[in-house]
Amino acid sequence: MTTSPASGPGTAAAPPSGGGRARRLSGVRLQEYALVLVVIALFVAGSILKPDSFPTWDNVRNMLTQASVVGVLAIGMTFVIATAGIDLSVGSMVAAAGMFGGVLVDPEGSTLLFVFGALAFATALGSINAIAVAYGRVVPFIATLAMFSIARGIALLLNDKLPVGLLELNGGSFGDPAPFSLMWFGTGRILGIPVSVYVFLGVVVAGWLVLNRTRYGRYVVAVGGNREAARIAGVPVRRTILSVYVLSGLLAGVAAVLLCARLGSASPVSGNLYELDAIGAVVIGGTSLAGGRATIVGTFLGVLTFALIFSLMTQLDLSTEVQQVVKGAIVLGAVLIQRPEARL
Amino acid sequence: MSMMRLPAALAVAALLAVGAAACGGDSDDDGATATQAAAGATTGGEGGGAGGPVSIVASVPPTDHGWLGAISKNAQAAADEFDDVDFRLLEAADADSQAQQIEQVISDRPDALVVLPQDGAALTPVAQRAEAAGIPVVNVDRLFTAPDAATATILGDNYQIGVLAADYIARRLDCRGNVVEIQGLAGISVTEERTRGFVDELRKACPDGGIDIVARQPGDFNPDTGLRVMETILQAQDRIDAVYTHDDDMAQGVVQAIRNAGRDDEMFLTGVGGSQDAMEQIKEGGLYEATFLYNPNMAASAVNMARLIALGEGFPELVPPEVPRQIIVPAATVTSENVEQYEQYAFN
Repeated sequence: MTTSPASGPGTAAAPPSGGGRARRLSGVRLQEYALVLVVIALFVAGSILKPDSFPTWDNVRNMLTQASVVGVLAIGMTFVIATAGIDLSVGSMVAAAGMFGGVLVDPEGSTLLFVFGALAFATALGSINAIAVAYGRVVPFIATLAMFSIARGIALLLNDKLPVGLLELNGGSFGDPAPFSLMWFGTGRILGIPVSVYVFLGVVVAGWLVLNRTRYGRYVVAVGGNREAARIAGVPVRRTILSVYVLSGLLAGVAAVLLCARLGSASPVSGNLYELDAIGAVVIGGTSLAGGRATIVGTFLGVLTFALIFSLMTQLDLSTEVQQVVKGAIVLGAVLIQRPEARL
Repeated sequence: MSMMRLPAALAVAALLAVGAAACGGDSDDDGATATQAAAGATTGGEGGGAGGPVSIVASVPPTDHGWLGAISKNAQAAADEFDDVDFRLLEAADADSQAQQIEQVISDRPDALVVLPQDGAALTPVAQRAEAAGIPVVNVDRLFTAPDAATATILGDNYQIGVLAADYIARRLDCRGNVVEIQGLAGISVTEERTRGFVDELRKACPDGGIDIVARQPGDFNPDTGLRVMETILQAQDRIDAVYTHDDDMAQGVVQAIRNAGRDDEMFLTGVGGSQDAMEQIKEGGLYEATFLYNPNMAASAVNMARLIALGEGFPELVPPEVPRQIIVPAATVTSENVEQYEQYAFN
């Protein structure tokens, strides 16, 4: 479930003779359980306050669909933050990737071309972040803040600040879009479950496997835990750092496809501040901003927490100002109850 | 007297009358000042003189939104109409850089400044400095917070937009039904006025009630936020008759949410602004029934006003050299019945 530096999957089962390391590991696990309680509590609260509309399959499906966009970004963000980095540019990259794909298929094109274009462009932008951080030694905050601005500017430049309509790509339509039309990725369903939810869950599972079951995953966490020690232990530090920003870019492309496929268009102003929700989900999930400790399951639960909060408060029609206070309070509470360091 | 027979004179008079009336219903400090002459109208324009070339600088927020894009296009087009205008359009990323930009411009001493502030309050001091330096300022759409920050002001009527929307929806629903309101950005005057006008007028149009606003959430003027908010509201509400959205661009996301849910026969929707997309959908008929024109032409009028002020000419059909201190451009209801008439103002 989780990984901390130099602790393979077997460590958890080992007797607690590992001292501090083992205690920290169990701390992470406690956090995950605590966040499960937060998710359940929010769902129960919604079911009590909105018994007719909240605990329905339709609403769960809607929340998961909405969570898929920021969810995919948050998995990439988990890898970046695990190396003690940050990626502030993911929201802008979502807009730029969508617009690039959109311009490619306007007025003629296919879903495949759109998807390929969006993924390739986002990956290219992520690569610029990666090179700046890994080889230019620019602080991640600054490098990705620059990309935050550059990518937004590119999104606006690509079609003279105008959105691109994508509704009819490969037989897409409202309601029941043809398989493999663009709209199908956003609103189509297989066995009653939206395609975008399969994509989201696929990314979560893949992220979990890579982080917890591969040598590369251990490298990512090791680099964030203690860069010097990792270097001495033979971890390819630069290449590892390079890779997480490329990955974050690629996943911004995936998020762009999922968003455009629901919106039926690419908009240069979309994705605004998605990075904050992604970072928020990662951090309340228990991944350390200081690096060296990362949990995909925690991030997944963090994403669900944000989706539940949004859905619940919007369904209750709370005013914006109340929403802001309540959301902040829930996030703070969620972090406090799971802090292993907190003495309660 | 003969002058007053000209249609142009009537148009100006009508504009002023509507402005004064709208002000009356507004909490605006200036009240009905539309006919009041501006004291400092002729202080600027040293470079002007009779017929001489005048330099005008316009400063606008980032034009990443359909309506703001139309504002800058219209300003440029108005300036291009005149041979005697030397025009420069500056786009600022945020309120701070807009203030710095204007500070810079003051030292170039243009004959007039046209400013659509990112944030009226934040840019008031720098506009006051321009006025104090003898450069007349024409304030567009978002108000400065001090009377000595602008020689003249031209703005749309957000309160009236809410009023027109309430009238349309009340009549269309015969004062019976569930309405959802998707607002713009929370906490700015544009949004608050569009909501206040709507609520006040619904009360007047349906004195016995009957229309419930079942949800009111901000969509931040973004299509993707509009989509997400509407998807969730559709979950919560099993019967919606009408949706009042604050913006045509954002409404495209709201429309998409409704269509994805297959509920477009259940309700109708209105926008604000007057975008090409909105007008096309209104013509086609169906979900998108109306929009309320918030005419970006006001930027063209602002450039014309700046030119006249800089030339010291006053306004045609008004006794020179005074110019009106405030002009409020009326909103208009655009539906399938009159959309042809308004298409010329559509922006994309």
